[in-house]
Amino acid sequence: MSMSSKRKRIDNLLQIITYGAASVAVIILSLIVVFVFKNGSGLINLDLITNDYHAQYYNGGIENVTSFSNTPKPNILTEEDYYSLKWGIALTDDIDREGKPIIIVSYIAEDSPLYQMYDKNNLDNDSFAIEVENIVQSIKFYDKDSTLSIYGAQHMINELDAESEFREMVFTSLGGGIRGSLITTLYTIGLTLLFALPVGIFTAIYLNEFAKKNRLTNIIRSMIEMLTGVPSIIFGLMGLAVFVPLTVRYTPADSANILSGSLTLAVILLPVIIRSTEESLKVVPDDFRFASLALGANSTQTTFKVVLPSALPGIMTATLLAIGRIIGESAALIFAIGTAIKDDISIFGKSTTLAVHIWSLLTDEPANIELASTISLIILMIVLILNISVKLLSRSYLKRV
Amino acid sequence: MINNVFTIKNLNLFYGKYQALHSINLDIERNKVTALIGPSGCGKSTFLRCLNRMNDLIDSCQIDGEVLYHNDNVYNRNFDVISLRTKVGMVFQKPNPFPMTIYDNIAYGPRCQGIKDKTELNKIVEKSLKNSALWEEVKDRLKDSAMSLSGGQQQRLCIARAIAMEPEVILMDEPTSALDPIATMKIEELINDLKQNYAIVIVTHSMQQAARISDNTAFFHLGELVEYDKTDIIFTTPKEVKTEEYITGRFG
Repeated sequence: MSMSSKRKRIDNLLQIITYGAASVAVIILSLIVVFVFKNGSGLINLDLITNDYHAQYYNGGIENVTSFSNTPKPNILTEEDYYSLKWGIALTDDIDREGKPIIIVSYIAEDSPLYQMYDKNNLDNDSFAIEVENIVQSIKFYDKDSTLSIYGAQHMINELDAESEFREMVFTSLGGGIRGSLITTLYTIGLTLLFALPVGIFTAIYLNEFAKKNRLTNIIRSMIEMLTGVPSIIFGLMGLAVFVPLTVRYTPADSANILSGSLTLAVILLPVIIRSTEESLKVVPDDFRFASLALGANSTQTTFKVVLPSALPGIMTATLLAIGRIIGESAALIFAIGTAIKDDISIFGKSTTLAVHIWSLLTDEPANIELASTISLIILMIVLILNISVKLLSRSYLKRV
Repeated sequence: MINNVFTIKNLNLFYGKYQALHSINLDIERNKVTALIGPSGCGKSTFLRCLNRMNDLIDSCQIDGEVLYHNDNVYNRNFDVISLRTKVGMVFQKPNPFPMTIYDNIAYGPRCQGIKDKTELNKIVEKSLKNSALWEEVKDRLKDSAMSLSGGQQQRLCIARAIAMEPEVILMDEPTSALDPIATMKIEELINDLKQNYAIVIVTHSMQQAARISDNTAFFHLGELVEYDKTDIIFTTPKEVKTEEYITGRFG
């Protein structure tokens, strides 16, 4: 009797530990998601994804204004929008993605004389025009002090309204977008998989299907296992020491670039892909191999016509995990791909992935946690979409066979 | 002599140090069903796998003696294993169709031999399915997955897959042990039809099955061939005491 009650207590304790551990794991994971969501959801919009990171600077000049605007302040504008009837422009105070105060153009009337502005830097630029959502930095006048964005929108409108000409208006596009880093991430995923998947899959096939089970293959296998545990920053050093000089020498690149980053990531991913492909080849029943061989197929035909197709769902899962690694990797890429945030992306040029973009934002002074969270949210969504699509793909594949 | 497809002379087989077969001598006749019976672990399946060299896949397996297929020793160094396996088909204990369509399962063997012509493949598929009595059941769903078939149908598909290679011999390793009585009956009927064109060697645990379908029966015990004769002689007037004890159910 006392034995069974003791047994019962131990069982209860074990159950409590199991449930406790599971709850801790779930709580930590949801806390991360909640934190990222709370901080990041405010900034998320399509502009962030499609915009350039670096703002374009424009210097507009205007001379001999012949006709002024007479459009009254539209109803859609609020108290916060300061409007100049004469110039047909509304300005409003805002803060940018870095948290600094800025003045944004919230409305321009169709008959605004500001459309007569010309590009002072390039007189041939016919498409030059100020647009809604541009940021006005300063307006310089002929006979009085300039008005700057730090004085606020109201001051700027009052100063402008009092004049009928000005020397120069400096305005910029919005900037702060992550289009460049997003494209770099996509390029990096594509290139890395291009390098890592064929090498990894064929190595796994060699190890599992063709290699004799001897000491040499065992050594190779344990070396591969060991590589999965090496910190990625060490691979980053290798990328800097090997792939960056290689790409500089044989391609138009002149420093760390997407190609060198992808090659480094491919090396990081190789052991992961080899291991998981080998695992999925191992679970293919030997019955299939025997049936194929007994039909007079050779071992190559057996491997590529029967074994590999059966292992495909497992290989797809491995690929998904690999993509997750590529999107999330930052330590190695700081060396191997660089930290320069760019808008014009070339495989041989400097640029940076979303993960390194986050790293840059967090090492800025002050750290931009909001934007970093927004980018994290975007990364989470990309991973989620990939996850679901791979699940659907392998499900439809399994249904077919 | 001319009617023998296989002549086995003094065959010994070792798994590492363990000897699984002891100097087996046996002839397999054309257009006959040869049943291999005996208790578990007696070496009958091992012997069967010697005939198409499937034992090659086991690293520790060593063989001496001769397995003559039309007077060529299949264990000769330069004997072509691939062509042997196209001539000696095999059906396994568990139905093991490939995870492909019914059509692709049958066409797999011919395709591996380089046959690509669609009309030829269509002909092979239809003929094989008809000869394995499966055509009527699957002719409208050749593009369905072979995994959607029932166990008995899957096993007949595996027989059709072997027939598609137009072999001379079909080896069957307990082909009905995973099937229900009705599916078993269908397979037995099929074996009876097939022996007009093929030599069939079947390993079975069921003595009734051996008695029903085979012409010759070989009784194995502890890696030795105890007795080999016409099936009705084995089951009515066996020469060896061991055989009589086994078929009357006194051991095994």
